[in-house]
Amino acid sequence: MIASKFEFRSPKDVEEAVRLYREFEGEAVYLSGGTDLVPRMKLGLEKPKVVIDLKRIASLTTVEDQGDWIRIGALARIFDLKQNDIVRGEFPALEASLEGTSCESLQMRGTIGGNLLQNSRCLFYNQSEFWRRSKGFCLKMGGESCNAVPGAKTCFANYCSDNATALCTLSAEIELSGPDGTRRVNLEGLYSNKAERPFEIQPGEILTAIFLPKMRSVGGYEKLRVRGAIDYPLLGVAFSFVDGTGKLAVGAVGPRPYVVEIKQPFRDTVGEAVETVLKQVKPVGNTVLDPDYRKQMIPVLAGRLVNKVMEGAK
Amino acid sequence: MERFKVNFQVNGEPVELDVRPSETLLETLRDRLELTGAKEGCGLGACGSCTVLLDGLPTRSCIVLTAEVDGSEVTTIEGLAEGEKLDPVQESFMEKGAVQCGFCTPGMILTARSLLDRNPRPTREDIIRSISSNVCRCTGYKKIVEAVEAVSSTETPET
Ligand SMILES: Cc1cc2nc3c(=O)[nH]c(=O)nc-3n(C[C@H](O)[C@H](O)[C@H](O)COP(=O)(O)OP(=O)(O)OC[C@H]3O[C@@H](n4cnc5c(N)ncnc54)[C@H](O)[C@@H]3O)c2cc1C
Ligand code: FES
Ligand code: FES
Repeated sequence: MIASKFEFRSPKDVEEAVRLYREFEGEAVYLSGGTDLVPRMKLGLEKPKVVIDLKRIASLTTVEDQGDWIRIGALARIFDLKQNDIVRGEFPALEASLEGTSCESLQMRGTIGGNLLQNSRCLFYNQSEFWRRSKGFCLKMGGESCNAVPGAKTCFANYCSDNATALCTLSAEIELSGPDGTRRVNLEGLYSNKAERPFEIQPGEILTAIFLPKMRSVGGYEKLRVRGAIDYPLLGVAFSFVDGTGKLAVGAVGPRPYVVEIKQPFRDTVGEAVETVLKQVKPVGNTVLDPDYRKQMIPVLAGRLVNKVMEGAK
Repeated sequence: MERFKVNFQVNGEPVELDVRPSETLLETLRDRLELTGAKEGCGLGACGSCTVLLDGLPTRSCIVLTAEVDGSEVTTIEGLAEGEKLDPVQESFMEKGAVQCGFCTPGMILTARSLLDRNPRPTREDIIRSISSNVCRCTGYKKIVEAVEAVSSTETPET
């Protein structure tokens, strides 16, 4: 049951959605597939006064070839996107991350926009209100310190979007529309690097589209999880090789994907790239796997992935 | 308290309801419409025992708001049989012994039905990919895969 009470609105265009948001400023949330938001509302992590459903805004669901760019509507569903011919032909890292996301029936409901804007996760945070109250609130709930690393003043929740990691290797840009107009930024610019509030996004902004430079890439995605389906990533590694440049991204071990360029020949430079990532990440005991194991799997998955992709590219 | 008016179809019958906007589709089905085939397991979208077909696609009804389904078509396990005649997927689950405690079974059957409707001759890999959306704590999945394979070969025999 969802304990909080809210109103439900389903606007037909972006302007109306933003106007509704302003009417309820600070108490409104946008809803796409709801596969992240509804569980959060059930756990009392989100208590909006109004839920604004974006699913009736038809212009947000399409995938278009615009010549130099491919424009993916934020409301495109994961399941549809992984079968899209452009995605399959040009962006294999994304195709693989879409395939690895949760499970087929959640892919049919979840959207790519909601996937990028899903909140960060922690074993001590994604719990019922009763459970959380008995432990005392952490930084992400307005408390004084972290519950995963007792006493710490930094939040260590993990941002678990499989597809953000892949999209970062493809130099994706995103378009946001809000009360102050429309802006377009690099996907990497979305992240605040603070796990308690992971996004640099203004109140009321709607993610309307994701843009990918239209350049054929080779690439892939490797995901660490306990079960082969349903589970969130405990580590995700993506690699794409586009127009002579390789990009490696590591996700689900911090508040954002960590992205590094790799120069050819990859066999010699992948180790260096991984070192750069290892210096930045601090996995802690806030998932079902041991943090040292997750860290040690970064070079393993990165090496395996780059080899596999470059073998296939020969 | 604000109510939200919804019109949708459940198992082919039109339904018009005034709901709390926070009411989930699973609550509506089980508590108001007395369709208790869909089960509440985790209540958080993780297990699939609450699966129904929403416009033909397997959907976890515990994380869908009833307000969202306005204008849609919902099929629950109760809507699969035609009178006394069970759906071939239901028959096959019984035939192959793909049911133990039965808690996952309505969701499993609907997930399989949707797959077969979209892809009448799925490979074993397609079947596993679809039904791995649903957790079964008893069977080990083997009999379930066999049951779905058996329907696929009788519904669309190889020519
Ligand atoms: C059991 C389970 C397993 C999962 N496993 C994975 C996994 O393996 N990998 C993974 O990446 N995810 C996973 N997820 C999370 C989720 O299913 C996906 O991330 C999904 O793609 C989210 O999309 P959505 O449309 O359902 O988002 P929603 O829940 O609708 O939205 C997510 C957030 O973004 C906001 N929002 C949504 N759309 C917009 C928009 N266009 N503009 C502005 N704000 C917006 C919402 O307010 C909300 O805060 C899992 C979820 C569950 C329940
Ligand atoms: S009860 Fe809905 S997914 Fe578990
Ligand atoms: S038969 Fe018991 S959970 Fe599947």
